[in-house]
Amino acid sequence: MDMDIACPRCKTTKYRNPSLKLLVNVCGHGLCESCVDLLFLKGSGNCPECGVALRRSNFRVQLFEDSQVEKEVDIRRRVLRDFNKKEEDFATLRDYNDYLEEVETIIFNLVNNIDQLETNKKIEKFKKENRELILKNKARAGREEAELEALLEQEAAMEEARRAQLAMEEKEEKRRKIRNKEALIDELMFSTGNARNIVQTFAESRAQDAASQAAQASSVPAPAVRATQFSTGIQIGRGSGHVEFLPVPRTDDTPLFHYEPPQRIFDGPAPPTLLDVDQNGFLAHIRSASEEERAGGYNSNISCLRALEEAMSGLYYRAHRGEAVF
Amino acid sequence: MFPSSTQLQHWTFKNEAEITQYREEANAKFIARHGANVPPEEIAEIFLTPSEERILVHSYESHLREFCKRFSPPMPRAVIGTAFHYFKRFYVFNSVMDYHPKEILVTCVYLAAKVEEFNVSISQFVANVKGDREKATDIILNNELLLMQRLQYHLTVHNPYRPVEGLLIDIKTRALLNDPERLRPAIDDFLDRSYLTDVCILFPPSQVALAAVLQSASSNRENLDSYVTGTLLGTPGAEKLPGLIDAVRNIRMIVKAYETVNRDIFGALNKKLEKCRNQENNPDSAIYKKRMQELLEDEDEREAVKYEKIARQQRTTEDQLVGITRVLSPSAS
Repeated sequence: MDMDIACPRCKTTKYRNPSLKLLVNVCGHGLCESCVDLLFLKGSGNCPECGVALRRSNFRVQLFEDSQVEKEVDIRRRVLRDFNKKEEDFATLRDYNDYLEEVETIIFNLVNNIDQLETNKKIEKFKKENRELILKNKARAGREEAELEALLEQEAAMEEARRAQLAMEEKEEKRRKIRNKEALIDELMFSTGNARNIVQTFAESRAQDAASQAAQASSVPAPAVRATQFSTGIQIGRGSGHVEFLPVPRTDDTPLFHYEPPQRIFDGPAPPTLLDVDQNGFLAHIRSASEEERAGGYNSNISCLRALEEAMSGLYYRAHRGEAVF
Repeated sequence: MFPSSTQLQHWTFKNEAEITQYREEANAKFIARHGANVPPEEIAEIFLTPSEERILVHSYESHLREFCKRFSPPMPRAVIGTAFHYFKRFYVFNSVMDYHPKEILVTCVYLAAKVEEFNVSISQFVANVKGDREKATDIILNNELLLMQRLQYHLTVHNPYRPVEGLLIDIKTRALLNDPERLRPAIDDFLDRSYLTDVCILFPPSQVALAAVLQSASSNRENLDSYVTGTLLGTPGAEKLPGLIDAVRNIRMIVKAYETVNRDIFGALNKKLEKCRNQENNPDSAIYKKRMQELLEDEDEREAVKYEKIARQQRTTEDQLVGITRVLSPSAS
């Protein structure tokens, strides 16, 4: 029962604290979140049950009820990261099976604390002997994953296309039905022929339509399968070659930003420029800026120019005034 | 800049006839809405005519100026100018009978103070208002959003004060005139009077400023014609000169033609307005009070609904958290 889960240290249960979360580290002993916070304040410490030195960052949520299973999963993952030989790497099937057996033994030993030292030595030895092979296999695993992902992506795209097509067909069908109906009503309204005959002809044509539709549906071309080979027989993609190229950076199709200076409508005689204001004595007639004002980047020529510009902009304005009313 | 402003695009009208037309439309619209069951021969008796509305607006404009002049702390001129702009713009498209000018007036000043960065709090502001301060606060704050909406949120106003400064600087620098500062009193007087007319919603501020400067020069027996034709416009602007002369002459004529409103007429019209104004917008009327009350209750109700929802949510999350349903007392079942 869910309620029975308890932290081995503080004895809190799920019943008493509904938000209880048990965490587990490499040694396989569980601890609740608050205990972890408390004990591993410094980032590392010893397991309160077996005394093994642990790091706080290695704690994760316990997935299995039995913490031993949790421990095994952890160890297995670690061991298999190095023992990653494939069947192709062995001469005979017998050799491969022996190898698998050995891996299992190592994992079992580690989980049950049998011959820890011996086993660890064995792992080290294996690592040293097979370093190159391990690296290669790791790279291969990465590639395989990528390929799988590409495959999934392709599948999703195909699915999407199919769905879009279906939706379109459905819409088309609906529209045709409505059109047919309208045509029939029009015919019934305006034709002088026998109503029954008209209905009959329409029913026939509809049946024909449906038949042709069915035929068409069966002949819908299957979505093109992605080519996996060049015409020369070399495979496209990473499947065959071990050579990998750096990805070519994609160029975006959006047009580049182009700066256009803003248009200023002035509608009046050209005002003096800032340089004119400085040189031609305009400043002699206004209060000069104080030191405090200049500290903020203000200068008296700014406001002088603004006043001049405002005095001149819009002077040429001319409404279509028509007759004066007063 | 003025040539790309909303003031030019939306609030500078072609001529007096255009403004009159809009005002008449607003008047007719109000009468059509509220005078449906009034016999046509009594309409002129009950409702204000467009020209009567004009007289009222004119007299309230002088009130607006008085209010601003007496305002404490003293108000910068730009605030007064902007308030005038708002007031005039508002009554181009709205009828006096719909919104009472004395209410719109204070709201305009309040909004203008904000826009022109003249910092007064509402309590400081209503200290300048005669009568019930609390009521005035309510009126101003209730009308503020309405006013902005009717102004289409075109709040930036170009006043002729800065152009006048620019022209004076230019005259001092580029024209031969002894002591241009003595033109100032007459300029200010001209601008003050110009705000009582429709000049500011007919002409760009730079032209009004130029008209003020020229008027002041002529009253001081000076001649600035050579400055305008030679220096200000120069040769590239020669073909624009007739248009500018025309505009300046028109401005001076309009300002000159202004005359104050007779007090008796104002009193009579005010009485008429009290009778025919839209009661829904009258803060003293029962309809208005009822409407406000409803708005208030609506708000309360919404709050209550919201509160209930939150409480319910909280209860369910609590239940989930505790893992047991509420324990009922034995008597409850």
